Amino acid sequence: MTSRPIRHALAAVLLLPTLLVGAENGETLDAKAMAVPAPKRVPHWIFPDTTGGLAASGTYANELGQIGIVLAEGAVKDAKSHPFFQALGPNGRACVTCHQPQDAMSVSLDSIRWIWRVTGGKDPLFAAVDGKNCPHLPQGEPTSHSLLLNRGLIRVFLPWPPKGNDGKPVDPEFTLEVVRDPTGCNTHPQYGLSSSNPTVSVYRRPRPAANTKFTTHENFGVLPFIGKNGLPASRDPDTGRASSMNLMADARAPSLRAQAADAAAGHMEVKKPLTKAQLDAIVAFESQVYMAQASDRHAGSLTEEGGPSGLGPQAMLKGEAGVLGNNTTRWVFPMENKWKSLPRTGDATQDARHAARESIQRGHDNFMFRTFWIRDSMHLNSVGLGNPTKRTCATCHGMHLTGMDTADGWMDIGSTNLPWAKEEPLNPWNPNKPELPLFKVTCKDRVPPHPFLGRVIYTQDPGRALITGRCNDVGTIVMQQLRGLAARQPYFSNGSAQTLREVVDFYDRRYNIGYTEQEKQDLVNFLGVL
Amino acid sequence: MRRLLPVMLGLGAPLAIAAAPADPSIRNFVACPVVRDTASVPCWLSEHDGELYFLTLQADVSAPVNPPWLGHKVLVEGRIKPGAARICGGVVLEPVRLSIIAEPDAACHTQLPAEERYNLTFEPPRPPGPSGGRLAFNTLPMPVKPVDVKREVKQYSLPYDFDGLINFKHPFQLTPILDMANAMKVSRVEIIGHRGAALLSDGSVMPEQADRAKRRAEQVAELLQGAGLTAPKYDVHWIDAAPAPSGIDDHTQRRVDITLRP
Repeated sequence: MTSRPIRHALAAVLLLPTLLVGAENGETLDAKAMAVPAPKRVPHWIFPDTTGGLAASGTYANELGQIGIVLAEGAVKDAKSHPFFQALGPNGRACVTCHQPQDAMSVSLDSIRWIWRVTGGKDPLFAAVDGKNCPHLPQGEPTSHSLLLNRGLIRVFLPWPPKGNDGKPVDPEFTLEVVRDPTGCNTHPQYGLSSSNPTVSVYRRPRPAANTKFTTHENFGVLPFIGKNGLPASRDPDTGRASSMNLMADARAPSLRAQAADAAAGHMEVKKPLTKAQLDAIVAFESQVYMAQASDRHAGSLTEEGGPSGLGPQAMLKGEAGVLGNNTTRWVFPMENKWKSLPRTGDATQDARHAARESIQRGHDNFMFRTFWIRDSMHLNSVGLGNPTKRTCATCHGMHLTGMDTADGWMDIGSTNLPWAKEEPLNPWNPNKPELPLFKVTCKDRVPPHPFLGRVIYTQDPGRALITGRCNDVGTIVMQQLRGLAARQPYFSNGSAQTLREVVDFYDRRYNIGYTEQEKQDLVNFLGVL
Repeated sequence: MRRLLPVMLGLGAPLAIAAAPADPSIRNFVACPVVRDTASVPCWLSEHDGELYFLTLQADVSAPVNPPWLGHKVLVEGRIKPGAARICGGVVLEPVRLSIIAEPDAACHTQLPAEERYNLTFEPPRPPGPSGGRLAFNTLPMPVKPVDVKREVKQYSLPYDFDGLINFKHPFQLTPILDMANAMKVSRVEIIGHRGAALLSDGSVMPEQADRAKRRAEQVAELLQGAGLTAPKYDVHWIDAAPAPSGIDDHTQRRVDITLRP
């Protein structure tokens, strides 16, 4: 990749050696109350309004190898005139700010820390509206941006009670109380739940703006009624057709266009709605970007001829969207057993590569065939499989090539709901404090209790329930695609897993799987090449 | 929207006592489900009156009978299958209908390990992992939009679990109704909600909640309108009274009838 934006970013690094020296000596640029860890690498950051373009294909280094990006319609020749790359609002952000090619069209924690250091916290990424824990906090102090700097989280602020499609308030099935408010936002007189414009703030990771034919398909499972509960599905306001409801953590946007408009109004703070031409250009760009890991530091190329057909960005470009892969015909991530058993030649380098590839294949086989008991997961156990159900990873992560649910993919696996969500241990010896808010949800008497969590639920993020007001949706989060994971840590919507190993450990703990160390490593290696 | 005058005997008091179902092969009861692991897929069982009954196997979303949930009791409405060998140690009920009781019950937590003697002696419809390329039962094909339809009265009936409202099964039943209504450009949608009661094997009667007929009818109207069918006039009615149950096919009373008029 030799496009000019990257040179622009590298130039920025070169211009800031003195700023970075202090950090190298163990100090931080803004070490008033919180040290910002040093980034592990220098990213290829694309700034808004940058000159140059984006090549039709390219690879970018990450800790586990390289992510591959392919633009189906060819290169973007002039980013400066393209709305995806332009700062469209007063805070200077562009879509690309949180959807960087090097980060699998999301934004990684490492990049966030790098841009913090390079700009002294002044990059538009750290805009007060949502790049800070709450707008009222002092701008530019690391503690004010701790959720972004520690977990890669953007503030998502939503009206409470929620509003229906007709704009009228929804009568929620539950009451919402703030139990813990470390950011101060949910109890703030201007921004909180008791303000004149009652608002709830939760904190979520930006999702990849790539492989969108899979996240917006109209294929299997997309019906006018939601397959999880029978209620009406969201409809694309432009076409009137049912949405797959797989965009965003809470499925609140039924189309890429709606998501872009939502992001412009919220994240970019644009004063006037984007024009049709701007929205068309953004949607067209997002519809042509494909990404997947292209090489692995141990396993080598993931795209070489004769290798597994489900790896690499070209697999995403060519693949069929919106079909089930939890079967032995299509597969979720087709590998054709190509790396099942590879010869050892005595060449240490090649033997190590073959060993790594065999581990990846074992991880794949584990993902597809290793059964465990899945229990008390709303919108999985409640949709016909029974509670518990003896199944595999691919049961939920079943969409061919992405590992998402094919449609209406919100589920509660416990990533935000207690008792399973990661919480800071409170004791006299731990100086760390909880970072995320905690809410108490009480289901009203007029509805049945949540089938698996009862009438009172504690959660860090009510998820889809903040849109529907439904008790059964509390803590349900739309499943993310499993592509490009190596380039966009941390994981889960609330950034609670810093590494792929932590992801695997979470599932091991949540479902009492009892993975061996070898199984865990194989799964980590497999997830890292997707 | 209005309530239709009751034309059948109303059942107000829960667990009224009546005669047991006339058919001795009927087994209607409320109990905790039990899940037993096998070398393949788990079995779902339940114990009643000193006997263990086989309810269903784990399959997938397309199964005609979906497994219940630990943590909740289940209403079993079944018939002993004549001559059937036990499965997983349980007397086979087939046909059987299962309705999960909404209120959690912490006593329902029995999960049994696999035992060689209880392993399945046949291939289950779906393994506990990836399928061979299709859902276990071809009962849930993606609905196909109707074309060139006759503009004539169409009638449908939506079935419900005991005390249930719309659930994950209904999209495959509602979608063809919606598509037909759009294709016919209907002028009127008539909806009648019903509620039922279950006659249990011990002779007690378990009526559905008093508001079920109303909520079912209103919800179906809301769903069709929410899915974009806003042009027709809606006539929404419900019948609060539940007919006296016989213990045989009581589930047929738990329904919403929908009539599309051109």
